[in-house]
Amino acid sequence: MIRGLAIAALCAAAAACGRSDAAVTVWHAYDKDERAAIEALAADWNAAHPERQVELVAMPYDGFGDKLGSAIPNGNGPDLFLYSQDRLGDWTAAGVLEPIEFWIDDATAARFTPEALASLAYHDALWGLPVAVKSLALFVRTDLVPTPPRTTDELLAMAPALTARGSFALAYPVDDLYAHAPWLHGFGGHAMDGDTPTIATAEAVAAAGFARELVQRKVVPAEADAALTATLFAEGKAAMAISGPWFIADIPAGVPYTITTLPTVSATGLAAAPYLGTEGILMSARARDKDAAIAVALAFTSDAAAARRAERAGQVVPNPAAYRGALADAPRLAAFRKQLAHTVPMPVSPAMRAVWTPYKNALGQVVSGAASPAAALEKAATDIATYARTEGAR
Amino acid sequence: MSVRKPKLPVIVAVHALLAIGTMAVLYPVMLVVKKAFEPGRQFALSPSPIPKRVTLDHFRALLSARGSHGELAFLQHTISSLAVAIATTVVGIALSCTAAYALSRFRFPGRKAALTSFLVVQMFPASLLMIPLYVLLHELGLLNSLSGLVLVYSTTAIPFCVWTLKGYFDSLPRELFEAARVDGAGPIRIFWTIVLPLARPGIAVTALFSFMTAWNEFILASTFLTDEGKYTLPVMLKSSVGQFSADWGQFAAGALLTSLPVMALFYVVQKYLVGGLTAGAVKG
Amino acid sequence: MKAGDLRRALRDALMIGALLWLAVTAAYVRDRNKDATQRALRHAQAAAELIAAGETPPTPTAAAAIVGAPVASKQHGFLRRRVAHTAAGPRPLGGPTAPAVDKLLYDAAGRFDKDGPFVAMLPDGSERAVAAVATARGPAIAITAGPEPRAPVPWLAVVGHLGLMLVLVGVGAVLGGRARGVGVAAGLATWAFPAYLAGGPGLALAILAVAAAAGWAHATGATDRAIAGVRAHKVALSFLAPAGVAMIVLVVVPFAVGLALGFYDHHHGRWTFVGLANFKRILTGDGHALSDPLNFWFILGVTLAWTFVNVILHVLFGTLFALILRQPWLKARGLWRVLLIVPWAVPNYITALIWKGMFAGEYGAVNSILSGLGLDRVSWFSSWATAFSANVATNTWLGFPFMMVVALGALESIPKELEEAAEVDGASSWQRFKEITLPHLKPALGPAIVLGSIWTFNMFNVIALVSGGKPGGSTDILVTDAYRWAFERGEQYGMAAALGTIIFLLLLGWTLIGRGLTKGDEEARP
Repeated sequence: MIRGLAIAALCAAAAACGRSDAAVTVWHAYDKDERAAIEALAADWNAAHPERQVELVAMPYDGFGDKLGSAIPNGNGPDLFLYSQDRLGDWTAAGVLEPIEFWIDDATAARFTPEALASLAYHDALWGLPVAVKSLALFVRTDLVPTPPRTTDELLAMAPALTARGSFALAYPVDDLYAHAPWLHGFGGHAMDGDTPTIATAEAVAAAGFARELVQRKVVPAEADAALTATLFAEGKAAMAISGPWFIADIPAGVPYTITTLPTVSATGLAAAPYLGTEGILMSARARDKDAAIAVALAFTSDAAAARRAERAGQVVPNPAAYRGALADAPRLAAFRKQLAHTVPMPVSPAMRAVWTPYKNALGQVVSGAASPAAALEKAATDIATYARTEGAR
Repeated sequence: MSVRKPKLPVIVAVHALLAIGTMAVLYPVMLVVKKAFEPGRQFALSPSPIPKRVTLDHFRALLSARGSHGELAFLQHTISSLAVAIATTVVGIALSCTAAYALSRFRFPGRKAALTSFLVVQMFPASLLMIPLYVLLHELGLLNSLSGLVLVYSTTAIPFCVWTLKGYFDSLPRELFEAARVDGAGPIRIFWTIVLPLARPGIAVTALFSFMTAWNEFILASTFLTDEGKYTLPVMLKSSVGQFSADWGQFAAGALLTSLPVMALFYVVQKYLVGGLTAGAVKG
Repeated sequence: MKAGDLRRALRDALMIGALLWLAVTAAYVRDRNKDATQRALRHAQAAAELIAAGETPPTPTAAAAIVGAPVASKQHGFLRRRVAHTAAGPRPLGGPTAPAVDKLLYDAAGRFDKDGPFVAMLPDGSERAVAAVATARGPAIAITAGPEPRAPVPWLAVVGHLGLMLVLVGVGAVLGGRARGVGVAAGLATWAFPAYLAGGPGLALAILAVAAAAGWAHATGATDRAIAGVRAHKVALSFLAPAGVAMIVLVVVPFAVGLALGFYDHHHGRWTFVGLANFKRILTGDGHALSDPLNFWFILGVTLAWTFVNVILHVLFGTLFALILRQPWLKARGLWRVLLIVPWAVPNYITALIWKGMFAGEYGAVNSILSGLGLDRVSWFSSWATAFSANVATNTWLGFPFMMVVALGALESIPKELEEAAEVDGASSWQRFKEITLPHLKPALGPAIVLGSIWTFNMFNVIALVSGGKPGGSTDILVTDAYRWAFERGEQYGMAAALGTIIFLLLLGWTLIGRGLTKGDEEARP
């Protein structure tokens, strides 16, 4: 009662109270083309449903997951949000998500590719509808590299000529596990085995050693974040880049490039396989009007909406029906769809959350030469185990 | 300090060293200015502070960018910053004038304790109170609102205003009050008709400094505001150079537009700050 | 005499009685809500049992049915269909246009399958209860329609109670002598009875204690003295009141909350009391080695080193520039001064971000300058020493203007005759500096150093924006570490609050020491 009075009094005085009048609030971290596409879909919905408006809220990507995890359990979050599936395990345990398999029948489920839909299922329930699948691929500047490398040996062979010109052969964030994963999987390693982290395996050590070799031979820059990768590629200071579909919007007009699958690791003969992330539209457990929310989610993932997103934003949508007509041959989409065959699903176990930062620290040490791959990965394994222990005890 | 002038070579050398030192000090600022006018999203590839090409594109893009509701984003953020800074200043000054006067002119039990507590509170970082304030606003549902932010800023604005104004009131001559009391004026009349008009410069300085502190505050705003439409200018600037997509050109243009007004204000008030130090504590 | 006694007794009783009334009302409201919850749960259970027995449940029920077993879809194992059997016949649950109310039945059936029969409140905050009871055909589920009506406030009892209190107080006052205090105490003690009903024996005992204290205060005249004191200073206190109240609401309350939060653990939205566990974890380094950034003592060491190095550099550069600017033969003094305080004028988060860009790996300005001078590029944020240096460089740049301005002010206060006389006496520059300049600098720099060290100790922006704690969190200082506990390590607000309390105690100690040290200097001012 006192709380209600306090809220009423303060709300009366306040300009904004956080919750809007729209029936459904959707949070997203989209930028540029993806943002324009989703805003177009929202505008269409609002025109067709004046009594149940949808409101899009743009959030910066930094810390988006953390904000969701802290806002929703206290009733302050959105009704729906667009996020990848990697925190599924964590959020289902925390009661952040609403299971939605109740509303989905076989006919609706048939819209999506089975793998994409299954990646949003966990512990025998469905937690969201797939919006796009994302994986890394190889972007190649055709003016600097006429034929993309098919193996890592070819990549290494290309480097000296490019270095002589003052360019790197390849740019990507070397210390980021997500970007390093293609090499990790290409050497036969995995970050997780079910719910157990498998960090300091011989394959992982080999992959980390390969990353160090790339830096030491000046094939890749020692320290590049996503923003610098984009700049280097755009200005020709890097002939190739490893990035995802979002990268397309960062390439200025006039730069001739092509997208292709990542090369095979020569040492093992395995394809460099990036993580497959499924981005979905997920429903908050505290959504105010669940009927409206599921209707919006279904509308945003319909075949027609998916086709528009694919066209406008280059999203690789998991709706096979969307690829009829002009989209069937869209070259960029085709490249990413080809890479899909060589991907490893992103682990959704809650334990995975503990892996990212220690692995990043380890790769940073390896790449700068401050520690050997084996020692750095051992330390990462210990750190992850400590975190899991203290987290598990809570 | 010598009263005799040293030899000419020494004078020239000292001036030259001073010039080099000052250039070094100004260098980062020159980089911002350069980046604001040089095309390209990435930070300067060459360390020279002179831009190779000059363009107004960054300013154009910044001022015409639209938010998710179609509104002009930079204008919206400026309005948010202005609203929060003005509200904080008003709340701070309005609540503090009377308290500062009481602490300066009256003697009452608990006065020393009140003085010490205002000083002590002022010295502690906002980031310590941030967590309980976050939890409190969380439970009250006031997160992600500008009024919640004003409440949070007032936490540090009020002690600062009380302490600075008290120092200023202390410097007013005692004879004025004696004369007014002899004339039969009550304390409230004295406050309204004599003290406040005389204290206008001190109140103005305190208000300006309060405004600037609220305008430049970054960490609390970025923690408490989640909705991009409600961002104040510092949060917008920080988010334009995030980990995944950095537009340094837009950042530099926005930084110039955001900081030039407060830099001008700063130069107005900085003369009074050192005097304020001897009277009490001055926040940086 | 008796009228004055009565008036004073009533005044004290009403004053303290108002506070007690607030406490009892809060307890009453909470108790009423708990009662409503209990009733909702009972209604749901009863309705579920009625359905199980094949009868229709009473009307305030949103949905009630026996829900059949799930039939999984052949293509997708996680898609299941259930059927609800109501009096109106079977109804399939689910599908794209199914209403949310049906989903409540579906979810409840799912929970029954996992946990067995249950009765609970719905977790969506709508104050509805759901109950599931086993039957042969499947769980019988009932969901109440909405919030239970609250019991009406017993106004008659409130008025009667107030009257009783006034009568007791009045009788005591009229009787005079010892009876006055007893009357007040007895009148206030009557609040203990509703407190016991609503809040349990704890609250009742607390109220009895307050009533006894109030009676004693009244009898000894303590309340009279306090009120006389307030009245004597009423102008001053009323002037102080607005800021005072604001401070209590905005500072004292959050501060107390912060202290209290340190004793709780926050996990997934739930708070559990853990006593000193958080403090123990912090002060024992949480099982990490001393060289590990997750160990409190490591971060403390880094913070102390950070503060110490910065303050020394601030004072060095500040006094150096001040001394140069004070030379009477310097040209364009005003211009130098204006330019040299630019770092202080520009908002510090902006310059922190610029410095971060300058220290960036391949193409940052610092590395470009280094390689232009023929030196090796440095990867600034991959080793502790270089990252720490980058932070120090940024903060020194930010902080020296303040010390310079303070030193300038102090130097301006040195009388010229003193210097001239010393020079005439043949003192060397070093002697002049030591005997004249330094004693004037110390009293001004003293408080400035205390302030500056506190600001540096808490300099969040530079650490967070320049190195961001890299590598691996080792350049974090205490305040950024507290931030990470709260916002980056799974919302462990309890740990963050405990760390905040420890930081507060450290700063308080340093402030007291600092004031002690500088007071000595002030007395020694020439």
